[in-house]
Amino acid sequence: MVRQGPLRHLRRELFASRLDGLISVGLITAMAFLGLALLRWAVVQAQWAVIQANSTLLAVGRYPLDQQWRLWLLTTLLALASGLSWGLLRGLPRPDHPLRLWPRHDRIAVVLLVGLAVVLPLLLQLSLNIQMRWWCITGLLVLCRWAAGRWGQAIPRPWRRWVPVIWPLLYGAGLVLISGGLGLVRVAPSAWGGLLLTLLQASFAILLCFPLGVGLALGRRSALPLLRWGSVLYIEFIRGAPLITLLFLGQNILGFLLPGGLAPDRVWRAAWILTFFAAAYVAEAVRSGLAAIPAGQLEAARSLGLPLPQALIHVVLPQALKVALPAIVGQFISLLQDTTLLSLIGLLDLLGTARTVMANPAYLGKNAEVYLVLAVLFWCCCAALGLGSRALETRLNPNHQPAASR
Amino acid sequence: MTSPAAATSTTIAGAVMIEAQGVEKWYGNGYHALRGVDLTVHQGEVVVIMGPSGSGKSTFLRTFNGLEEFQHGTITVDGITLGDDLRQIDAIRREVGMVFQQFNLFPHLTVLENLTLAPIKVRQRPQHQVESQALELLERVGIHEQAHKYPGQLSGGQQQRVAIARSLCMEPRIMLFDEPTSALDPEMVQEVLEVMRELAKEGMTMVVVTHEVKFARQVASRVVLMAEGRVVEVAPPDQFFSNPQHERSKQFLGQIA
Repeated sequence: MVRQGPLRHLRRELFASRLDGLISVGLITAMAFLGLALLRWAVVQAQWAVIQANSTLLAVGRYPLDQQWRLWLLTTLLALASGLSWGLLRGLPRPDHPLRLWPRHDRIAVVLLVGLAVVLPLLLQLSLNIQMRWWCITGLLVLCRWAAGRWGQAIPRPWRRWVPVIWPLLYGAGLVLISGGLGLVRVAPSAWGGLLLTLLQASFAILLCFPLGVGLALGRRSALPLLRWGSVLYIEFIRGAPLITLLFLGQNILGFLLPGGLAPDRVWRAAWILTFFAAAYVAEAVRSGLAAIPAGQLEAARSLGLPLPQALIHVVLPQALKVALPAIVGQFISLLQDTTLLSLIGLLDLLGTARTVMANPAYLGKNAEVYLVLAVLFWCCCAALGLGSRALETRLNPNHQPAASR
Repeated sequence: MTSPAAATSTTIAGAVMIEAQGVEKWYGNGYHALRGVDLTVHQGEVVVIMGPSGSGKSTFLRTFNGLEEFQHGTITVDGITLGDDLRQIDAIRREVGMVFQQFNLFPHLTVLENLTLAPIKVRQRPQHQVESQALELLERVGIHEQAHKYPGQLSGGQQQRVAIARSLCMEPRIMLFDEPTSALDPEMVQEVLEVMRELAKEGMTMVVVTHEVKFARQVASRVVLMAEGRVVEVAPPDQFFSNPQHERSKQFLGQIA
């Protein structure tokens, strides 16, 4: 294919015929108009002082000031782990791929990431101190990504297989850092808020609803009638009720249902309800994946002598989860957005905190600024989830290979 | 470790490997698929089961390793009687290899991993040992260059040969073939039959459901004709193809000739 200049390419894409040209001109005009209006509002009219003054509140709620270093430490650890995993996943050669330290998509991702880290704090006019911290953390992430891609091969294979274990360990460490214990001052869940609470609730529910959902999906297809009907009943009950009713219900009855100490306060009770809620939807997504796998796969595995659990783990589930991955991640994304309902049961998640800010007489009428920041924050989190899932999808596809000789 | 199968491993040539008596099966919708089927397969025999579609031949074959349940009769495989005990079914499946019409290779694993999965997970053998055995087997079926490809990158004939090698990697004492060449393009049928011929020559006990008359003539010890869920005729291939005894057999041979 002859490479065309960008201008000719644009012309062919946008102005191929008279009608195309008309539509293109119309859309470009509309977008420019809207974009300029938004820009003018953001620069001239909007008063970002409300964000600037409440950035900490929106980020972590009423988390004690003198303990916030723990959250910075956690963010730094997360960045390091992300960089390491990213570098090992993408920077290493596969048998069918030549070694490339920075594939094209990764370069785009880095530029976006660095751009966000510089532009967002700058736009929000955070204090220079905080801005510098974000730059450093982003820099560390990129550095770690580069180092892992550059020298990852030097790590022996068996060691590399243990790298994913970093994540559950980090999650446990993160919970300790946030809530205290093990020598750290305790910070009660009622003091967690803002983005911290939102991400904590979402990640807790995502991590737990996944195995629970897989179990329910397998239960629904099980040959044992009690297991099957139990799963069906659970899934249909949960899917038949709005989350908000379940959240209110959970605040009242979860204390009786779960063994003592597992749901001691409102924050954890809400986290469990989110988990149980999302599990039913994940189960349906997984079930659709299971249905897509031909019966011959299980028969072949069983006729090789693999017992049912092993046949499921090694043969059926890897294929079914791959099929169900987009639907599952879709559930995770809506779960993340559903956490905003927590503000309705009185928890100070991102939306709840934002509402307290807007209720402050000092910032009356600054709703647009606050909501816009909220939308951008949510969009960033969801985009990250979506990008991660797409990367995983391509990676899991064995037919996605340059030299496929059919 | 003495499994029930190992206890019978000293059987003399000609010992009974599969014994089915009065096997009856109804499907959930009430369809009477098997109507009292008897069959005895001896060690080293190649038994070819033929018959029109819907005659129950595949269903019968699949009862031998517990893929199909049956309601009446008994089946004893390699000294183990099939029953409700799941551990016994797993014990039988370890000794009985099966090759399917649709290959049923695991598409998310490489060819080599397809072969090594069960020996490593079920027999708990060390990985390097299983891998070298798997590569040997792949060489035997003529596809060792493809060991690190995925099944989707192979032709149908190659996939079926991998499926045979995958079964052999568990070192089975009996091999079941369920129409192994029916889903293949015509030019790939021979390469699969060739592998099966080799296997028969080495003395493997085989039960083969197939429509390949030439294969049956050359390789089979006995040919079984099934129709409407019953065994109609059992005879050595020469006799079966040149001088069938039953009206139903003549009719069937007339149709496929």
